[in-house]
Amino acid sequence: MQARELHGLLDDALRARERVRRRSPREIAAALAAAATRWSDDPTLTAELPAMTGLSPAMIAAAIPLAAEAIDCDAMVRLVERERGPAAAEDPGLVAHVLASNVPALALPAIALGCLAGAAVVVKSGHGDRVSGPAFQRALASVDPDLAATVVTAYWPGGERALDDVLLDRAQVVIATGRDSTLAAIAARAPGKVIGYGARVSVAALRDDAPAGALALDVVLHDQRGCLSPHAVYVAGNARAFAERLARVFNGVAAHLPPGRLTTEERATVRALRDEAEWEGARVLAGPGGTVIYDERPRFRPTCGLRTVRVHPLAALPDVLPPGRVECVGFWGLVPDTTALERLGVSRVCPVGRMQRPPLAWPRGQRVALGTLFGHRGPPRLLLER
Amino acid sequence: MSLGVELAAEIDACARGGPAPDFEPWALRIFRHQYERNPPYRAFCARRGATPSTVTRWQDVPAVPAAAFRHVDLACGTPEIVFRTSGTSGGPQARGRHLLPYPPLYRASALAAFERFVLPDGARLPCLFLLPPPEEKPDSSLVRMCAWVADAFGTSVEWFVGPGGLDTPRLVARLAALAASGEAALLAGPTAAFVRLFDTGRSFRLGPASRVVDTGGQKGLERPLSRAGFLRRCWTSLGIATYYCLNEYGMTELCSQRYDSALWDRFHGRSLDARRLIGPPWLRTRVLDPDTLGPVPPGTTGLLCHHDLANAGSVAVVLTEDLGRTVGEDGIDVLGRVAGAVPRGCGMLLAELT
Repeated sequence: MQARELHGLLDDALRARERVRRRSPREIAAALAAAATRWSDDPTLTAELPAMTGLSPAMIAAAIPLAAEAIDCDAMVRLVERERGPAAAEDPGLVAHVLASNVPALALPAIALGCLAGAAVVVKSGHGDRVSGPAFQRALASVDPDLAATVVTAYWPGGERALDDVLLDRAQVVIATGRDSTLAAIAARAPGKVIGYGARVSVAALRDDAPAGALALDVVLHDQRGCLSPHAVYVAGNARAFAERLARVFNGVAAHLPPGRLTTEERATVRALRDEAEWEGARVLAGPGGTVIYDERPRFRPTCGLRTVRVHPLAALPDVLPPGRVECVGFWGLVPDTTALERLGVSRVCPVGRMQRPPLAWPRGQRVALGTLFGHRGPPRLLLER
Repeated sequence: MSLGVELAAEIDACARGGPAPDFEPWALRIFRHQYERNPPYRAFCARRGATPSTVTRWQDVPAVPAAAFRHVDLACGTPEIVFRTSGTSGGPQARGRHLLPYPPLYRASALAAFERFVLPDGARLPCLFLLPPPEEKPDSSLVRMCAWVADAFGTSVEWFVGPGGLDTPRLVARLAALAASGEAALLAGPTAAFVRLFDTGRSFRLGPASRVVDTGGQKGLERPLSRAGFLRRCWTSLGIATYYCLNEYGMTELCSQRYDSALWDRFHGRSLDARRLIGPPWLRTRVLDPDTLGPVPPGTTGLLCHHDLANAGSVAVVLTEDLGRTVGEDGIDVLGRVAGAVPRGCGMLLAELT
């Protein structure tokens, strides 16, 4: 793709936006929801995503419905009512999303939020998922061609500065996800426009009789690549016994959700993590389904991902968790102190087993999901799901 | 430590042209020695069901991960020297410690390998070290080794790193004087220090047979520099030909080192062989699968695992966090470091001081 071609696509999308601006939120939400359902049946996804993402076919098959279910019509209408605020003078004309691809299908919420904001949307896919965005646009075109015409999906390799510049120059808002260094580089090129979502992890706090299978799914889904993936578990009661149970469940889960293909470097990273833990005096429970490290010291140390998690005895989370590093806290059988967690920068608290099923309203990074596109900053925000 | 005395004598004899230590008998003897005298290592072996009676091949001696040196003291007796790995990002607790009950064994191994691979022509040169002197960095195994090298093989020694970092003006002035006199010199230090020298933009033509020994690779570099790029800079900035530019691969946890094969090959009629890191006969390196810790096929990437007989006073077999592959019959190539591994090494040594 050349810069001129991208300019043309953006011009077309902005013209199309004028044609749909009078639409009601429910009309747009209904089209998006119908498109998401259609998208989830697109055979391109199951055919191409495993090789592209490195996730197993079974994992892709499990992840697709999770991505689609978040594009829920009623939830989107409520989101617009809550976050759009008084109309339209400051509607973003063009919203650009620069997506990571650690987790597949990030294009769906990006496109949905942009459409709900009444903007034209351009989505630059990450290298590891170049199909979800175009597939969703195709699905949208089949149910609502006019709305689909407001969406541009594209991919170009990192370093294509001319194309990046088109995006950064023309968009009113740039939403970027990725490594902190990538975000800093993008932000420096478009001061004031870029809203970045960098590297974060999640944790869980639960009683020792919590369903280990539900937590194992939270860890295993997307092979623990996302910011909603728990890296540490704090257990009230017999934490060691829970760790042993979790390790057994990991192996069972791996039978129907096998891990993706790991590189030698990734396998070496897991080996190094296990070795370090053993010599620190922790108990390492390693199996084909993943690694559970039981560490009696209640502390926060993210793992390398790749289905590795630390289990600790429960401690007061505000004493353990550093500010600004934890996105979501899964809980079971305990009453979370949401006030304290909000102060730590946690954006979402939900039951264990639902950590990988965020609603579209998830205030990622404590920024309101839709209102951010209108420049609404607001106070820090935490979403509590029961 | 009679075992150490005996092995040091064999290494010295090997350096003078005698036979190399017979690897497997020594490996098994050292394993028994360490199993009996090194409690954390014995416990580690017991968890793997390995005892001197069950281990009958050198390849089966349990390998201690490099991480262990960050958490326990692994020594077969009271240490006379404690070396610490460089790197500060993980705090003091993230620095590994290598305890040496019998330093002469380290000296014997380090000098024999240095002479074998860096000075095969018997050259005796002034030593310019882009490192702090031993009194400023007594816990650096690299600095200690360089001091021994200067004592054994140097005609003089100068250190160019002080509390303020690399003393570039003094180094540049010294190099200019050397270039004017035509005298050859040995320059050694972290790769990152050489890059800082290159970044001054000054160029010299040092005397024939001058040589560079760099170590640490990309660590501590502000921007990436390929090996080919480094060698090119050695030529354009110092006038030193590529076969006199030798990369050293060593670890605080090891008493033996590997070196670039270029000069060794040149003196043994193998100039067309691929550059690789080769070591003395008492150091063997296996490339292992990270999951099984079994050997990978030749040329395949895996974790480097070093079996260093000169480590008789601590643990002889160290599983690194380095990825590499075998090259030819006797060499390895280091491809990088496991993601998330604690930053350490000689490049970090310079970073600590600046």
